Amino acid sequence: MPGSWYLSNYKYKYNITHLQPFLQKLKEKKLVGLECSGCNTVYYPPRFVCGKCLVKPNRWVDIRETGRVSTFAIAYLKDPDTGEIQEKPMVLVHHDGADTASIAQLNPEVDFKDTYIGMPIKAHWVENPVGGLMDIDYYDLIKDDFKDLDLFED
Amino acid sequence: MKRMDKVGIVGFNQVKLYSDANYGRYEMIFETVRGALDSAGLKKNDITTAISCTNDYYDGRTISNCYTVEVGGGYMVDESKVEMDGAHAVLYGLMRILSGNHKLALVWGGSMPSCFPYHAARLYETDPTWERPVAYVNDITAAGFQMRAYQEKYGVSTKDIAKIAAKNRKNASKNPLTLQEAQNANITVNDVLDSEIYADPVTELMVAQPCDGVAALLLAPEKQALKITDNPVWITGVGYNQETYYLGDRDLTKSTSMELAGKMAFDAAGIKDSKKEIDLAELFEAYAHEEVIFSEALGLVDMGEGTSLNSEIDGDMPINPSGGAIGGNPPCATGIIRIIEAVKQLRGEADGYQVKGAKKAITSGQIGMCAQNNIVYVLEGGN
Amino acid sequence: MGRQVAIVSAGFSEHASKRSDVNIVELVSEAVKDCLKNAPSVSFEDIDAFATGNMPGFEGANLPELWMTDWVGARNKPLMRVTTGGTTGGSVGIAGYYTVAAGLPGIDTVLAIAFEQQSQGDTSVGLANVAYGEVALLNHLGLTYDQVGRLLSAGAAIGVAAYQATNYMRKTKITEVDLARVVVQNRRNAAKTWWAHLKMPNLTVEQVLDTPYISFPLRYGMVCPASDGACAVLFTTEEKAKDMCDIPAYVNGVASVAHETAILGYAASGSAQIDPSEQLGAMKTSEICYHQAGISFPGKEIDYAEVYSPFPNQELMWVEKLGLFEETTAPEMYKNGVTALNGELPICCSGGVNSTNAIGASALERPAVAALQIMGKASNQVPKTVHTAIGHGWGGSLNLCTMMVMSDEPQRKPQRKLR
Repeated sequence: MPGSWYLSNYKYKYNITHLQPFLQKLKEKKLVGLECSGCNTVYYPPRFVCGKCLVKPNRWVDIRETGRVSTFAIAYLKDPDTGEIQEKPMVLVHHDGADTASIAQLNPEVDFKDTYIGMPIKAHWVENPVGGLMDIDYYDLIKDDFKDLDLFED
Repeated sequence: MKRMDKVGIVGFNQVKLYSDANYGRYEMIFETVRGALDSAGLKKNDITTAISCTNDYYDGRTISNCYTVEVGGGYMVDESKVEMDGAHAVLYGLMRILSGNHKLALVWGGSMPSCFPYHAARLYETDPTWERPVAYVNDITAAGFQMRAYQEKYGVSTKDIAKIAAKNRKNASKNPLTLQEAQNANITVNDVLDSEIYADPVTELMVAQPCDGVAALLLAPEKQALKITDNPVWITGVGYNQETYYLGDRDLTKSTSMELAGKMAFDAAGIKDSKKEIDLAELFEAYAHEEVIFSEALGLVDMGEGTSLNSEIDGDMPINPSGGAIGGNPPCATGIIRIIEAVKQLRGEADGYQVKGAKKAITSGQIGMCAQNNIVYVLEGGN
Repeated sequence: MGRQVAIVSAGFSEHASKRSDVNIVELVSEAVKDCLKNAPSVSFEDIDAFATGNMPGFEGANLPELWMTDWVGARNKPLMRVTTGGTTGGSVGIAGYYTVAAGLPGIDTVLAIAFEQQSQGDTSVGLANVAYGEVALLNHLGLTYDQVGRLLSAGAAIGVAAYQATNYMRKTKITEVDLARVVVQNRRNAAKTWWAHLKMPNLTVEQVLDTPYISFPLRYGMVCPASDGACAVLFTTEEKAKDMCDIPAYVNGVASVAHETAILGYAASGSAQIDPSEQLGAMKTSEICYHQAGISFPGKEIDYAEVYSPFPNQELMWVEKLGLFEETTAPEMYKNGVTALNGELPICCSGGVNSTNAIGASALERPAVAALQIMGKASNQVPKTVHTAIGHGWGGSLNLCTMMVMSDEPQRKPQRKLR
């Protein structure tokens, strides 16, 4: 028997006051995270409540633009118009200075088959940031300094 | 019959109810839970188990309770989630304490029906094959069936039932935490009768309005409860029961599940005559006539005489001195709020609507069309 | 206070990708009948209370346990509903345990029922809806629809598992062949289980690797199916258990703990779990359970395990995180046959979630099968005697791990009388 579950009539309420300073700084091409003074965990993007301590984190700290890939996956999506299978890489990036991993995409010209965990990356800003989550367009690869070191393999 | 070990309520908190709160649910849950811990002087690491209560359909998302674990104090804690009334979540918390595995249980529940029309979501509880194609079936029409059946059997007029709604709204005006729209100190029976008809004979002011709200409770076993607070309130009995589903199979003039749940709770608490031993009742009445039917089922008044009971705050058997669910019905939190109000009465903290000398109270929670599943608690005060 | 609890019976319905011959309530009554068939001395009058659960979003029916009242024998009896997303079954089992352990007067025997009929609704809509509110917020904050589309596709359980797989494979340096080996073991075990969904007695590693990628590094051949099915488990007290079955499975430890959310934190924050295969929640759950059950060396003391692994890399990850094997050694164990039917520590001999996945029920089926192995009545019974077994569940968005430890000897010491 046909039936449907209407999704369009819901009205979700979210309070984003804790995100406002973060969005402001994005406009200036700066990254900030929110630190909990109870356990020193830095949340990036900022989080409303620290789960471990059950208090509101209240200290803003600087987050670097560089970071590492903490994990990645490649989604194989079927284009609804053409029907062909496209490969879309998704990464979780761990910024230096933060204790969280956030979802992002790599520079589309990079061959993602070379992605590995721990790969160093840097944020690439858009021309005119507006204070939204798309202000970081994608992440560029940067040179990995350890590749030329000679390490014994056991 | 074997008696139940008693479990202490050592802390509680509830937010003021709004019909359209201007803050989001994570803030509300955090405020409630943090407030409950602070009121008991406990910290997050003292919590050994956390139970939450929300409903996917009322919140508009699958697994609505999965993202609320952190704000609800459940981070890295042995926790679970119930999806019925808040009072059933308290039941699960109670079971975890009685098993001996846990020493402090945090129970919270609530939702925000301002995000979605609540009564329309109730349509999804109906049988998809037989009842749902009849598009107007929801909890209000089912309540209409029950009210008319009760009236016809006992010859009770709509006016008598409207008196209950008026009494509850007057009581709500003395309780600062209830819904603003529900508080009306000068309401008359005619106001209730003249309000908009939802499903004849149920009118607008007889319905408990769904609103935004969250409530939380802390439970502990006897030994720990006495150390945490000087004034614990004991849960000495609990009973829960579910009757059959289709409205046509049930006798709508009485609530079989409430009778059986009440019997189970009274046996566990050692109560032989509820009329004499109970000082007040906080019942979850989603509609004014349900209060009448429930009080008969619990033995507080004889069958058919429900409307002749003096249930005012200073009456023979005070029912819902806080205004009841008609004072504001946040789905999934109302059952917990009934317990909180009873706790306040037993501790003597219900300023403005205190029942004198309250020592034993009963509270109820319900879920389902026409209260298909009922749960009853017996609470005993202080020392 | 608190009592020892035992499992005396477990029942299943037939699992298939589309059970169009029954509706929800009839599907559940099949499992209930099977459960009571396995405990011939128990009838409906002996059941004192019920604990039920499922994921409500998939069938379009809110609170289906209200509808199920007459089909499971719950008329005028106590009933409680528990839902925790993907781990609903595990939580229902734990709720059944606590209902008996609490010792409420008059409640000694409890039937725990979990089910799912995914063919009735649209699974992908239901799954996408988990983060619907969060995604709406992200949209508001500037994320485009294209990004959102990728989030939804790589953000559901398959995406979460893919992230776990990448990290795990880096740690252990395994290849797809190791993942395929796990799948082959599971599907061949499922062929001997009467109620399983994907029965493939002749599956080979090459056949698994011959399928296209769904989300690197996982292929279509490795992924679990979406099934319709139900499961029912009967819990009772220690005294009554001896009359109901020969070898009751005593439940000695239960826990369900969640760590960080998997990828998308609430309200647009990320996840504080940098390495998705770290799983602190699973480690804490197993710690609590083993402590309750008095187990100090799980790798030595546990004879059988059912872990919740819709994807093969998870099976390798869980057996390490739950303390059964040393970190990074699990693939070796599978290669050397330690985890096969006649190995030292058989794992998932019912085929596991990889072969049958009715979302609401699968986390209850794991402890159910483990209990049946202790009782000696499982469909694919292991040859050695099973004394201690575990059943585990995992939830997608929140990494909630439920666990139940069972044994053929009760662990709870009798309470001293105070007078």
